[in-house]
Amino acid sequence: MSAIYLIAVPLLAAFISILVKKVSPYLLLLVSAASVVAMYFVDLETIVIGGFTAPYGISLVVDRFSQAGLFAVNVLFFLVVALNINNYKKMSSILLVALAGLNGLLLTGDLFNLFVFLEVSGIAAYLITTTNKKPLATFNYLVAGTVGSSLYLLGLILLYAMFGTLNMADMSQSIADSGVSAAVVSLPFLLMFIGFGVEAKLLPFNSWVKGILGHSNSLSGPMIASVYATAMGLVFGRLLSEVFVFDDKVTLIIAVVVVLSVVAGEAMAYASTKVREILLFSSIAQAALVVLLFVNGFVGWAIMLAIANGVTKFLLFSVINKATEVVGSDEISSLKGLFVNNKIIGVSFTAASLSIIGLPLFVGFIIKMKMLESLFTSTLVLPFGNYFYPAVILLSSIVEGVYFIKLLVSLWYDKENAPVVHYDVLLKYVGVVIALGLIVYGVFQGNVVDFADSLGAIILQGGVF
Amino acid sequence: MLQYAAIFLIMLGLYGLLTQRNIIKIILSLNILEIGLNVFIISIGFVIGTNGEIGIAPILTSTNNSSALLFVDPLPQALVLTAIVIGVGTTALGLALAKNIYAKYGTFNIDEMGEE
Repeated sequence: MSAIYLIAVPLLAAFISILVKKVSPYLLLLVSAASVVAMYFVDLETIVIGGFTAPYGISLVVDRFSQAGLFAVNVLFFLVVALNINNYKKMSSILLVALAGLNGLLLTGDLFNLFVFLEVSGIAAYLITTTNKKPLATFNYLVAGTVGSSLYLLGLILLYAMFGTLNMADMSQSIADSGVSAAVVSLPFLLMFIGFGVEAKLLPFNSWVKGILGHSNSLSGPMIASVYATAMGLVFGRLLSEVFVFDDKVTLIIAVVVVLSVVAGEAMAYASTKVREILLFSSIAQAALVVLLFVNGFVGWAIMLAIANGVTKFLLFSVINKATEVVGSDEISSLKGLFVNNKIIGVSFTAASLSIIGLPLFVGFIIKMKMLESLFTSTLVLPFGNYFYPAVILLSSIVEGVYFIKLLVSLWYDKENAPVVHYDVLLKYVGVVIALGLIVYGVFQGNVVDFADSLGAIILQGGVF
Repeated sequence: MLQYAAIFLIMLGLYGLLTQRNIIKIILSLNILEIGLNVFIISIGFVIGTNGEIGIAPILTSTNNSSALLFVDPLPQALVLTAIVIGVGTTALGLALAKNIYAKYGTFNIDEMGEE
């Protein structure tokens, strides 16, 4: 099966759903479930659109990288939709557009096409966040997102003027062949980095995150923090590892930006008293870690970290946002004892947060350990020496551990006035499956390690046309 | 020369985004930025021949009937068409949000809304 249906079918369904409003929620469920099933039948290939072969036409690339990303994003998308469709029937058409945009982002092998899908999924994201009923926060997101993608477009056009191609693989080939120094192309790549930095939640460009995720509901929270974060992280990673060429000075700037994002994210999460804010600042730190790994070329583990972050944040945001909707506040003090009446949800929430901290027996541990191992043994010249990044990661892990354990303790212990929240059976089931998955793959780590290594090896060989 | 005008427009848009506190003016600044960007993209395709002749529109007609003529690069024009459509979509969405904001707060000025 050609992967082009993953974009075309949701887009067609979005048009149909406007005509027949009544069936649109079922259409959405059907299409998003079909996308998950279709993942098993997608061949690894490069799809030429309209008969124009690369580099002249737009090509869609299905390799192990985009396959892993598509699988994670489509499964998470289906789960978010299945859990929320009854309460947000009006969003069906928009969610279908979002699915088309996200699949397109992950599949495309063309830089301008990437911009188009960035805007398509971006506009869908702005509309999804309008369900927060905070129009000013959504407006800030829209302005930040539009300026970001405009800067991306500016960088892209400069590259086109210099090398005369828009195809990603061809672009990196022509940059290598032309023999220009990395300093010459640092301006366009810096502009593109800033543009994606907005969506990837890097520090100076992420002022929108607090307004959006701090007031998120059970649809917008998991959608933005998990589905969009995974897709954006992976697409940014593809650009960073396959196209971008960075000068030493630019690498230094990026190192400062990323490290500041990690440190500030963890510090803000530690200082917050609201559960949603703790989770959103933790997402900022995790997203910056993903970028750090991609920039330094540890592609396999960066993909694993992005996917693990998506899966765990989906569970955490779903649980907390549902509780917030019932209780009416997301202060830790008002959610105390939430898990006393919801033991199954509590156990899966605990497993997910322990995995983020990186305790042994969970997937997070392997990812963090391998990450540190590859940073320590790396032969690359890293900014500030080989011990700086591991030190930052370990230090931030301690802070992460402290605030997550503090949060877990107050969510588990308070027998007296514990809030009563009824969770869907589906969320309980999904939570248990995620928790079991985190533990099973955490104990039998061979599969995860092989998978990450094979992904890393493919990228190092260079992308296909 | 056109590039300088485009970059001036982009900078003007950015300046407006940073200094204005009115929702409508922010949307206007966003549009100025996008227009500057579009002009910049168009200017990339422009060509001047070795003996000073100016590139013509890349359409084969009865008067321009040879592919050996000096044509401008048509790809940036196609790109800018897409970028314009996306810009219009974003502007429409921004204006719809501005309407919601006005309905909620009764003002377009961010400072008067009493929120962060």
